[in-house]
Amino acid sequence: MSSEPIERRVSYIGDRLRGSRCTLCGKEYFRGKDYCGKCGRKSFGKMKDIDFFYEKGKLEVCTLIGEPTNKFVKLGPYVYGIVSFQNGKVRVPGRLTDFIPKDGELDLSCFEDREVVPRFRRRYAVTRSDIVPTISLAFTLADDYYPHQEYEIIKPKKEYDTPGIVGYGVYVSKFRIKEGMIERSVPFLDEDAVTAAVEAGKMALIHSGVDHSLIGKVYVGSESNPYAVKPIASKVAQVLKLGMEEKTDGIQSVDAIDTEFACKAATSMFKDAASLVYYPHARTPYTMTVGTDNSQAAPRDELGGELDLYVGYGGSAFIFGMHDVIAELEGWYSCTSDTPDFWRRDREPYPRHGGRFTGEPAYFKHVLNACRKLMEQLNLKSSDVDYFVSHQPNIGFPVRVAQELGFKEDQYMPGLQVAKFGNTYSSSSPIGLAAILDRAKPNERIIIVSYGSGAGSDAYSLLTTSQIKDKRQRQKFTIKHQIKNEHLEYVDYTTYRRLKHGL
Amino acid sequence: MKRRRPAIIGVGRTKFGEHYERGPEKLVEEAGLQALDSAGVKRKDLDACYFSDYFLQITNKIGIEEGFQSELLELNVPMERMRSFSSALLNACHAVQSGKYGIVLVGGVEKMTDRWDKIRDDLMLLEDPWSYYAGCTPEANHELLLRGYIKKYGISGEELEKFNTALAQISVKNHHHAIENEYAQYQRDISVDKVLKERSKACKPLGLYDFAPISDGASALILARPEIAKNCSDTPVRVLGSSSATDYVTFPSREDRTSFVASTIAMKSALKMADIEASNIQIAELYDQSTLLEMISLEDLGFSKKGKAWLDIYNSCKEYQGFYEINGKKLFVNRNGGLKADGNPLGATGGAQIFEVVKQLRGEAGSRQVEMDGDPPRFGCISELEGFGTKAYVHILGRT
Repeated sequence: MSSEPIERRVSYIGDRLRGSRCTLCGKEYFRGKDYCGKCGRKSFGKMKDIDFFYEKGKLEVCTLIGEPTNKFVKLGPYVYGIVSFQNGKVRVPGRLTDFIPKDGELDLSCFEDREVVPRFRRRYAVTRSDIVPTISLAFTLADDYYPHQEYEIIKPKKEYDTPGIVGYGVYVSKFRIKEGMIERSVPFLDEDAVTAAVEAGKMALIHSGVDHSLIGKVYVGSESNPYAVKPIASKVAQVLKLGMEEKTDGIQSVDAIDTEFACKAATSMFKDAASLVYYPHARTPYTMTVGTDNSQAAPRDELGGELDLYVGYGGSAFIFGMHDVIAELEGWYSCTSDTPDFWRRDREPYPRHGGRFTGEPAYFKHVLNACRKLMEQLNLKSSDVDYFVSHQPNIGFPVRVAQELGFKEDQYMPGLQVAKFGNTYSSSSPIGLAAILDRAKPNERIIIVSYGSGAGSDAYSLLTTSQIKDKRQRQKFTIKHQIKNEHLEYVDYTTYRRLKHGL
Repeated sequence: MKRRRPAIIGVGRTKFGEHYERGPEKLVEEAGLQALDSAGVKRKDLDACYFSDYFLQITNKIGIEEGFQSELLELNVPMERMRSFSSALLNACHAVQSGKYGIVLVGGVEKMTDRWDKIRDDLMLLEDPWSYYAGCTPEANHELLLRGYIKKYGISGEELEKFNTALAQISVKNHHHAIENEYAQYQRDISVDKVLKERSKACKPLGLYDFAPISDGASALILARPEIAKNCSDTPVRVLGSSSATDYVTFPSREDRTSFVASTIAMKSALKMADIEASNIQIAELYDQSTLLEMISLEDLGFSKKGKAWLDIYNSCKEYQGFYEINGKKLFVNRNGGLKADGNPLGATGGAQIFEVVKQLRGEAGSRQVEMDGDPPRFGCISELEGFGTKAYVHILGRT
């Protein structure tokens, strides 16, 4: 039972781990405080807002929780302990997440005194009609899959004539299932489309060095929002503190909107995001687009269960702007038709699809059309393009369109990531784009073509700039890092379904 | 003030455990009548009542316990409800000492098994909400304190084995004591091996046999002004010291996470009131919500040196003679079986602790009576906690 006001307050503080610092004595507190306990009345008005969202903590002591309280039962067993920040200035309770204990003895001392990173996650299980509670009092070990990254706001050096991508981030969970040729990402129990959106946005901020308060609009595209009504974008905006924050009301001057168009919900907004930063009266220096999905699929033996062989989990975020651009948006083309090749009715948990018709009249027609039209518009031959990436529901489809469009392996293989992450729906082609941006040199041309069932495609042509190299060192959580990682944990089918179902 | 020290003239309690067929009213009635009868006073003699319960409003939908008790007792006297029995007693002592009331009933009741499947969640009301949000359980902080203690005092290897054994011995000892206590929830012996096995089964530093159980029960006592006490009882027990202290509810935020500051403060102030030293105490009922807390209490209350209580326990329990030997002195601890074996019906727990000390000081403890040089003990102390060291109460009782 979650009542609205308390959920608002708890998540406002807990999602970001907000706190206070006394400017007189330096004492820090988790949770906002109007005065310092040490300095007393003279500290009123002298408390500074801080938060521990980008901080690194230390797990001081811990224990294994084998019998959690009722709302945490699905998460158990888990490690719980005390995490300290700033060399013990502040201590908070915390749960280790992304952790599935193995049978047998567990040596708690192997976790203690280790560095941990706060993670934005679901708090605990609630009934389906309740508000989804979230918190960042979940942690993972800093030397594990998810590294700690500092967020440093960098003053922009150069203004470009054409808007483009300023920074990007991709978040894919550490759990995978491997079946045949394909590896797929699997969310942990406390992850969903919302948490991946926040993680991806966080990475994009870190990579771009953009001041979060200068982001004027955030678009989140998803088809697996846990809510039928309530945006993911509002959560992303609040947790990442996008736009200027009016502290008294806890309101941020940012526009946030969710979009839905199957797997092209996010890419569709690239042009809007780019246009908005270009429009002089918009006073929007930066925009963020996020694609996020805990890609849904019915269990294998049910109707529509074929999807269960391909679905993945992850999020991607791209920040658009005119300053310090790493890839300019040189053109786009979008097309649409009302083709019902894949759908999910309201209140249905899993999508259905048109079987063998999902390829020929749907995917291929739109993707090929969009790409050809864009290349025509820009007068491009396939040899003018360095990298090509398209939506990746499986391995066969994107390879076939690439070949039909005359692209060679070295042009389309770098962006083909489905075999490592599965179909991440709204992030499918964006993750391919990110993989290319991870390696592209300056002055290279990338074409990305998304596809969304229902149906439509967006094709974009991007031209990288010299800044792509300069910013690369700020991207620790690259696609390569997320593919080749000794900490990846492979799960069996039963565990996969349990994790996927979540809390 | 010394002259005005109130006296406990009667005590009563129910058996602790699972009272499936009995509601809170039946339990309170039994304990209350026993207390009144043993004091030789009638309910009409009561000037006021102080009650304690933690969860009656959740477990039994009783939001205003005072009204519920007013109906049971058919009385309209002033009544107040606190959380813990010690808190009720402390407030009753203040009222009697101030001269406002002459005879007061203090009663506690809890019916935890009425919410069997939710009671561990309810217990989280005793922690701060942020710990709950992060996945804390009623047991977790005990284990974090233990981990912190081991690290702080650098206990490892053979010492750690002794430390773990000492904690197990606490449980074994308390179970053994409870055999002679007809009111106890568990009247059976357990072994050190069994305690250790449960820990390793759960991969945890503390296991099933380290924690006090979920219990139902009630307890009561009659407190009176000394001049009234003289007429009612030949063996009144005086409340010599009565004190409490508080600490942050958020355990991780506390400066010291290897002891309870509140206990130390409460004990100091209670000893000062009683005008005795900790070393004068011969019997102590400590709040062993877990075996660890009995150990920590020995340090917090000043019996054992910091970081050494486990060694005192280990050495005393090698060949256990019914008491801990600390600095060459005997200290009888948790002779009723402690919370571990006697039971822990929160609001009534403190009443059972006081019941035991009163009986022991009066020499009425029967087969579990302890003796100091042939006499019943003269000074006893009771420590009770609310939450995980968030509030601490210490009462010092003495024979006069």
